[in-house]
Amino acid sequence: MVEHNSEHLSLHSTMVKESFKSGLTWEVKANSRKHKQKKSFLCLHWGRYADNVVRSYKYSPLTFLPLTLFEQFQRAANLYFLLMVVMQCVPAISSIPWYITIIPLTTVLTVRGLKDLSNDMARRRSDSQINSRPCDVLISQSFNTVQWKDLCVGDVLRIHKDQVIPADLLLLCSSEPHSLCYVETADIDGETNLKYRQALSATHNELTSHPSEEALSAFDGVVLCEEPNNRLYSFRGQLQWRGKCLLLDSEHILLRGTVLRNTDFAYGLAIYTGADTKILRNCGKLKVKTTQTEKVFNQVVIGIVLSVLLAALLLAIGSGVFSSQVMSQTGVPSALVVNGNPVYTGFLIYWSYIILLSPAMPIALYISFEMIHTVHSLFIGWDLEMYWQPADRPAQARNTSLNEELGQVGYLLSDKTGTLTQNRLLFRQCCIAGEIYAPGLVEKLRGQQCPLSKQFLTALALCHTVMAEWKDGETPVYQAASPDEEALVGAARELGWAFLSRTRDFLVVSELGVTRQYQLLALLDFTSKRRRMSVLVREPEGGLKLYCKGADIVILERLQKDCPYQERIERALELFAEACLRTLCVAVRSVPEASWEQWSQTLAESAAMTTCDRDALLEKLYDQMERDLQLLGVTAIEDRLQEGVPETIALLQEAGLKVWVLTGDKKETAVNIGYSCKLLDPDTRLLEWQELRQILQSPDPQVSFFKARQTELWAADKEMAGAKTSVVLTGPELAEFDQRPEWGATFMRLAEQCQSVLCCRVTPAQKSEIVKLVRKHTGSITMSIGDGANDVNMIKTAHVGVGLAGVEGGQAVQNADFALSQFRFLQRLLLVHGRWSYRRISNFLRYFLFKTCSFALVHIWFGIFNGFSAQSLYETWFIALYTVSYTAFPTMCLAIFEQDVSAESSLKFPELYKCGPRQELSNPLMLSLSLLQAVYSSLVLFFIPFGVFYDTAVDFQTMAVTVAMAATFAATIEIVRLTRFWTKFSIAALCVSVSMLFICTRLCHSARLFQSSPVDYVFIGVSDKAFIDPVVWLTALLTAWTAVLPSVTAQALNVILTAHDKHKVHIITNQPVELRSKFKRGTSLRRSSYAISQDAGSGRIVTTRTSFHSTVLPGHEKVTASGTDQLGQL
Amino acid sequence: MVKQEQELDNRPDNTAFTQQRLPAWQPMLSAGIIIPGFVLIGLAFIGIGVALFVTSRSIQVLEIDYTGVAQDSPCFKCSDPNAKNCMCTMEFSIDSLFQGPVFFYYGLTNYFQNYRRYGVSKDANQLSGDLEYFTNPSDDCAPYVYDNNKPIVPCGSVANSMFNDTFKLFQIVNGARKQVPLDGKGIAWWTDYNVKYRNPNVTPLRNAFNGTVKPVFWSRPAYELDPTDPANNGFINQDFLVWMRRAALPNFRKLYRRITEGDFAEGLPAGNYSLEIAYNYPVLSFDGEKKVVFSNVSWMGGKNEFLGIAYLVIGSLCVVMSIVMLIVYAKFKFPEED
Repeated sequence: MVEHNSEHLSLHSTMVKESFKSGLTWEVKANSRKHKQKKSFLCLHWGRYADNVVRSYKYSPLTFLPLTLFEQFQRAANLYFLLMVVMQCVPAISSIPWYITIIPLTTVLTVRGLKDLSNDMARRRSDSQINSRPCDVLISQSFNTVQWKDLCVGDVLRIHKDQVIPADLLLLCSSEPHSLCYVETADIDGETNLKYRQALSATHNELTSHPSEEALSAFDGVVLCEEPNNRLYSFRGQLQWRGKCLLLDSEHILLRGTVLRNTDFAYGLAIYTGADTKILRNCGKLKVKTTQTEKVFNQVVIGIVLSVLLAALLLAIGSGVFSSQVMSQTGVPSALVVNGNPVYTGFLIYWSYIILLSPAMPIALYISFEMIHTVHSLFIGWDLEMYWQPADRPAQARNTSLNEELGQVGYLLSDKTGTLTQNRLLFRQCCIAGEIYAPGLVEKLRGQQCPLSKQFLTALALCHTVMAEWKDGETPVYQAASPDEEALVGAARELGWAFLSRTRDFLVVSELGVTRQYQLLALLDFTSKRRRMSVLVREPEGGLKLYCKGADIVILERLQKDCPYQERIERALELFAEACLRTLCVAVRSVPEASWEQWSQTLAESAAMTTCDRDALLEKLYDQMERDLQLLGVTAIEDRLQEGVPETIALLQEAGLKVWVLTGDKKETAVNIGYSCKLLDPDTRLLEWQELRQILQSPDPQVSFFKARQTELWAADKEMAGAKTSVVLTGPELAEFDQRPEWGATFMRLAEQCQSVLCCRVTPAQKSEIVKLVRKHTGSITMSIGDGANDVNMIKTAHVGVGLAGVEGGQAVQNADFALSQFRFLQRLLLVHGRWSYRRISNFLRYFLFKTCSFALVHIWFGIFNGFSAQSLYETWFIALYTVSYTAFPTMCLAIFEQDVSAESSLKFPELYKCGPRQELSNPLMLSLSLLQAVYSSLVLFFIPFGVFYDTAVDFQTMAVTVAMAATFAATIEIVRLTRFWTKFSIAALCVSVSMLFICTRLCHSARLFQSSPVDYVFIGVSDKAFIDPVVWLTALLTAWTAVLPSVTAQALNVILTAHDKHKVHIITNQPVELRSKFKRGTSLRRSSYAISQDAGSGRIVTTRTSFHSTVLPGHEKVTASGTDQLGQL
Repeated sequence: MVKQEQELDNRPDNTAFTQQRLPAWQPMLSAGIIIPGFVLIGLAFIGIGVALFVTSRSIQVLEIDYTGVAQDSPCFKCSDPNAKNCMCTMEFSIDSLFQGPVFFYYGLTNYFQNYRRYGVSKDANQLSGDLEYFTNPSDDCAPYVYDNNKPIVPCGSVANSMFNDTFKLFQIVNGARKQVPLDGKGIAWWTDYNVKYRNPNVTPLRNAFNGTVKPVFWSRPAYELDPTDPANNGFINQDFLVWMRRAALPNFRKLYRRITEGDFAEGLPAGNYSLEIAYNYPVLSFDGEKKVVFSNVSWMGGKNEFLGIAYLVIGSLCVVMSIVMLIVYAKFKFPEED
């Protein structure tokens, strides 16, 4: 026995060695909690296996202060100002006292730090919510409920039905036969259909016993697998147990984040926990997004800093020259040259001027910018029009720094399922024997006794891969791999043909209350190539029938000759297609016994073959069977769109946005949805890969593109001058772009001409590749919108990511910048909030630039007349308070309340949005113009008072007050000019800030403050005299008016030239949004598609499942009578 | 009902503020407002400009340069830096009555009183009479903090460089010189005299200055600035206060005296005058000029033609702009407006 054991051990160790060689280095021992847990203290980590705790927070009480300071000083602006403070503390160069900069800087740091802290607290809360979810872990022979965070690698877990799986597990066994179990992966890939996982037969056989605890706690297998990685769809590993080595792949793995469905219990062994799990590995780091406007502005700020450095350099040279001149003289100032060295003096003056001119780079800007963003984000959350009452969910701006980007979006890349559509399919209409049964005719149909309609409904009830489950005994709950099938089987049930259950060989159907059992002889499965599926059944009466359903094209070409009603059914197909319904043809064939026997024999032979042409052979065989069909009818299913989708898309297109659809679905489905949501017009020409490729390969793609369009134009309709083209691509085709990077630019140029682009069958990674392509080649702002975890990638990649808060999941929302409840809220988010934000923020930035630069650059000109000595032209207190209080409040009001047109008008005139994507207000040119204006103003601000006070008895301090007044007045006139929306707050803010100037100036010049600190309040008594001096007032007014004259004149001219258009927007109030595309159709376009998200192969599971536990059928009679909920929708 | 309300606790408030529907005044600018607006502003500016210009014209100003650069100038002999206690006399005549009250200024050019290190070079605490800073002046006063290891009071460049020319004005009546009384009271700012600058509370004043020395360039210590009036000494000496109030620009004037008394209360009558100058202050070393200015004042202070002209120019510009706008408006928009 001992010998046997050691042999066992040595065998194990050799196996482990081999596995190490093959890269399987991750070792997990079942029922052993002795794995080295990863621990970390400060920045040190040790141990290999992560615990199952989600940590998305950044700070601990100890690390908060250093970390937040470190993060904040990574911002160039903050560092710059810190440098300024340090420099101001050096007496030799301090042209302004140190407290002038430190007060705003500490405010900025504090506000930002508090904001980060509160965000971190929120993250901690949500983390602890996840970490404290319960799960059942096997501890000493019994399952105990523990929290997720206490889960370790090597634990054996019991997962209940509908429970979220807490870690990546190896499925050991389940309550279902063959240890199958079903998972929903909506949170991982966004697909709502069920996927099955199956345990190894070894573990299934050995561990399935009652009570299972004993067997499971004795389980001592060792899993060797690859190191944690982010590949969701692959897994490599082996299970070493009882001396055997069993290979594992992704079919045996239950991933964290998936939900167990239709399975009472599943038992699993935790392999990867916490940060090692595939889903967390996939999350990636959240990139900090900065807006385009901010980038442009940052460039301008860098430009300002460089200009300031240059100006300081020139002034310093001037100072050196001046000093050396003074040195040659014996007058008073010569003693002031530092150490008698002009060069050293110039060097010191250089730093002094950098300090003096630093207000040109606005520190208050960054803090105001953040506040404005926050308020704009609050407005989004507060908007009742974006509040979704059924779910009690308001819109949410999760990233509060992207608001103005909403007003500049050029490309909207949308997911389809769950975003444009509700992912709810409804059986809308059908055509049986040439008769169309529209809504309301259900009763008639139910009463129909014509044999064709009976057969039609029998076909619906039989030809599918749906499984029935009896939950409460009232009605069967259908579980289908595709929502189409679920809709069809559900509809058949409502019409009296209720599919009750299936076993391996039998299908039980209640036909108007009569239970009939059909023997299932063969299931000719669906593939995307065949685009049809069939079942071959033996009727209770003994006849053999083949029921087939599939896309219209494939079915129509397999009909027997002279099929009755064919023409009428084809007409019905067209009608349905016009109504954007998805159609399927249903057909039947009576199969002679003899031909079945022969066929089944061949089938058995070919199925036994293992060569690779088996599939081709099977397909050929299936093809033989599916012929001479008799057409029964057509079903029409509506893929329900989300509310208001067509209107929203039309509106956004009018606003100049390009709307692209990126979906994992099939081409047919995507195109169909494209039509129904008005993304494609009926007359839109679809440009597919073959043609596109030719165009891309041609030497001059633009020309060939137009040529292609031209011919189409002539062929179709000469009058349709605005022939539209849309590109339809699929994932594999897109993969070719990887090999041909030069096509990207060409393709984007073509795509810009196109109405839209549809990308089908794309993976999440490809979705983000497409976003990157658009970002790279257009320079437009991209916005991605999606609802599933498969959209997370593109949501993160796009400039702005929007997550639709769907029924479940939330991965998309978690990673999105904005969360909405409905697609149609996008209208308001973009056209109203986005547009306003963009205008407000651009105006705010430009104004801020003007305000601070015009005020600070005065020192350059003053330098020429004070010996380049870095003498400030203002009182230090004025410098400190100018941006903070004398001009701040009206600016904030502008940035918060300004509305050039109302929300209603914004939606009525979507063209108004177009100035955002074109960056009309925030381009470098506009910012440079503001800068130019600021330079002009600074010249005026200095030289008019200079002219007035030159060679007079007016002292320096009076002049300082005069220029300060003029600068404030100029900034005030400018804000009055910019504000077009005067709320009571704006008016109050204006009055407050202007009176602040006088009150604060008087205070700073008061005797009381002087007596408390004579050094800091040297301007004592100046305003007493200056504020009653008419020359001071007249000079300040003249200077202010002259400083703003160009901008006022420009605006006046602009008003005069564009008055007409502006009036229109304000005056016209009643013009409904028109949908551009009407139903007008020259050619008939049939859209048939089948099984939108069904993968080939669901037939296999259905047929290999030996028994179903749902054979008890309580109350058949109730089935037919009950449940008219779906009919109600018909 | 209550339950339903609880369930909707995420519902945003329906207020004008949260819904961005605040009542607001949205001024609709149009040509009808803008063009008359520009005309009005332009006319107002022109009006102010005319008023300023006319007022400025009515102010009489007499400037006499006594730098003594030119060889024929009576002060040429004094412009030599080596000359000590040099006196020179400038003769001038007034054709008509120089309306009183007449302000008597001295003016300097190319003198950078606004140089930062010059302006900083003083000790506000010392000047407000704090004795602690008499023995221990602030480093700001560099390079005039100590002289022979004794603290300088008042320290710093500004005080050190105080203007020390003095003037006497005589009217020549029938060959006899009649002195014009010059009023030196109240030429400094009230706040400077009463708050900003204080003498230490020590009597006699000179005791406060024990252990200190006078500024290097000064001929007399601070407590003996005005030998005629003991109250006009120390830091509250009027001339000292005027000097300490730094000029804004390199060319400036400072008030020296007012002529308000005796026969000259109405102004300076027509006739010949003689200005006796004690020439002490060197300006040639920095290419400066010295002058005296007699001026009377109006509501707008001294003569200032620049302001009036600037108002006229800007006002006219506004009017011109309004005309341009009118043309643009008529050309592009008139047909559509009805």
